[in-house]
Amino acid sequence: MHPIWIILKSEFWRRVRSKAFVLATLLAPIGIVALFALPGLLTFFAADSGDEPPVAVVDATEQLLPHLQEQSSSFTFVPANTSQEALADSVRAEVYSGYLVLPETLLQGEGMASFYRSSGGGLGTQNRIQNVVERAVRDVRLANEDVPDAVESILAASPSLEMRRITEQGDQADATLIYSAIGYMLAFVIYFAVFIYGQYVMQGVIAEKSSRVVEIVVSSVRPFELLMGKVLGIGAMGLVQMVTWGALVSGALAAAGPIFMLFMDPAAYDLAPDASQQAALEAAGITIPSLPLSLLVWTLLFFVAGYLLYASLFAAVGSAVERVQDAQSLMYPVFIPLLIPLLVIGVVIEAPNGTLSTALSFIPFFAPILMVLRSALTEVAIWQLALSWLLVMATFVGTIWMASRIYRVGIFMYGKPPSLRELLRWARYRP
Amino acid sequence: MPTLSVDHVHKAYGDTKAVHDVSFAAAPGRILGLLGPNGAGKTSTLRMITHITQPDSGAVRYDERPVGPWSQRRMGYLPEERGLYPDLRVKEQLVYLGQLKGLSADAATERVHHWLERFSALDWVDKKTDELSKGMQQKVQFIATLLHDPQLLIFDEPFSGLDPINSDVLRDIILELRRTDRTILFASHRMEQVEQLCDDICLMANGQVVLNGDLREVKQRFGTNTVIVRFDGSDAFIDDLESEGAVRVHARSAHRAEMRLLNETPARRVLQAALDTVDELHHFERTEPPLSEIFVEVVGEANAAQAAAA
Repeated sequence: MHPIWIILKSEFWRRVRSKAFVLATLLAPIGIVALFALPGLLTFFAADSGDEPPVAVVDATEQLLPHLQEQSSSFTFVPANTSQEALADSVRAEVYSGYLVLPETLLQGEGMASFYRSSGGGLGTQNRIQNVVERAVRDVRLANEDVPDAVESILAASPSLEMRRITEQGDQADATLIYSAIGYMLAFVIYFAVFIYGQYVMQGVIAEKSSRVVEIVVSSVRPFELLMGKVLGIGAMGLVQMVTWGALVSGALAAAGPIFMLFMDPAAYDLAPDASQQAALEAAGITIPSLPLSLLVWTLLFFVAGYLLYASLFAAVGSAVERVQDAQSLMYPVFIPLLIPLLVIGVVIEAPNGTLSTALSFIPFFAPILMVLRSALTEVAIWQLALSWLLVMATFVGTIWMASRIYRVGIFMYGKPPSLRELLRWARYRP
Repeated sequence: MPTLSVDHVHKAYGDTKAVHDVSFAAAPGRILGLLGPNGAGKTSTLRMITHITQPDSGAVRYDERPVGPWSQRRMGYLPEERGLYPDLRVKEQLVYLGQLKGLSADAATERVHHWLERFSALDWVDKKTDELSKGMQQKVQFIATLLHDPQLLIFDEPFSGLDPINSDVLRDIILELRRTDRTILFASHRMEQVEQLCDDICLMANGQVVLNGDLREVKQRFGTNTVIVRFDGSDAFIDDLESEGAVRVHARSAHRAEMRLLNETPARRVLQAALDTVDELHHFERTEPPLSEIFVEVVGEANAAQAAAA
């Protein structure tokens, strides 16, 4: 048996059989879902103004207040009976969350409403108050001018836009928003996976060095074989984890439709009792994203390539130090290229086929995250995916060569952790 | 018969010359003691022999071929800094290390059982390594060195950290390996162990070989200029002799002294002085200097030479 294979197997098994691994593999998807659901849930609860003090309204028009009260569910509007000075005191005392002054001229289309509040509340409050006042003023003015009902309903209507995506079979509800979310999620999964498995490699190298067992091992196999076996073994572990997660998520999505059908009543949506699942879901306004197999395959391929690229660098850093803490300063050059793609996610989501997005997704250190993000958002040509992937792998060959040169020197260097320059100088040493 | 030969080997790390023109040979069925103070270049030399590093110039040959992955499989190396995977169980650890030396998993398992039995340690088989005491870990490490039945054995300070009983077990095994014609290299700075075990010695200082050869011949080269006395009573005669400049004392306790004769002082001069003052004389011997003295003398000369050259 080749030494790399023996090392790979040992590194793989000693991790995979641990309880921590089994738990992480099964529980992480729940954690990720929670992580993504949490901001949404928080916003939902933050918007709930049930506990907020009412807003006092100084209504000079004497007509707007009832409309405001009728319009808004998120604010409680109450009439103000005191002077503005007294109202200001009440706001300071948090009796009111603020007070709104509506001059008479508003109904002539002039002047402006003023909202007084203590600090806080954010842009969200401003937008919502603005909307509420706007609609109340429009309704009152239309009523006062005796406009025909037809005109009123024309003005009240707001036509909505439905996005549909053309597919091989016809068309279906477009889910750009959902695919953005998926792309976003996959980008983060790759980022975390590469970072965490890279850390495993680094910690493995450090543990081997600080326990000194490395000297025994390299008196039996070449340092390159040890490095490669370790990187591949931990990578195999990562792959098992990712494939398990992929299967769990795909399974959950496939089960979501049928489960929904069990609980929905077609009649409630004016559908025939034997309506298809797709029709039912569309009628209910629910989009269950289907993850195309090709997206999953490319995600795995780019994860593997990105992991190999970064793990070789993490291993080189690990070989230079005896304690994880000492690795901090050496890790920045590895960590920053991994982080940059996350900073441009917004740009790529905006225009996944734009020149900038395309160019960035060919840079090997960014490609694993950005290519997966792009192919979640849009159709990316196969040649682009393949070329970018090959570039990452070619870069990996370069980094593992460099890393193994640093590694074979680093594992015998004890004492003060080296600077980055010294580390690079080691690559030129003759072992 | 496979011989290990180190031939005009040089090795530098940056500007530091770790090993400078080192040559020696180790023959099967014999134990070669590699001696030297810290920083003498012993570990650097061992790493080239084990093919962990390569010489800048010169060659290390085993069985007349340059060492390489092939020789690593025929060689067992016990480094000075011991280390095992703390989270692996004893058996898994040893089987893994055996496989890295080219054994099949089955063969490795069988050997592990054989050696654990030999060290009466079969009940550790499924213990995690970090649950073992230091001494037990030493044994596991020693087994890892022997597992693949190597022809060439390299022990760097094998006895450090072992209690007397386990030291004896280890010494017996090393002597047994010598009987079965293994080539054994033994690095140490514990002189009494080297004197007990080694057939040949190679003394290194400042990256160079300063003394090399058959242990008995080397000792004879330094002559029988050492006197050992054991006695009861006053030891004032020793101070007198020393202040006269007739002897230099190597080792001294209440009833025993070991000294070197200086300026061609005859041994009987010491005997006479002793008889004059002690109550009872138990032992008087004129002999070769102990290895530790040769070591101190030769290394001292080498350091002085280097200081003069610098």
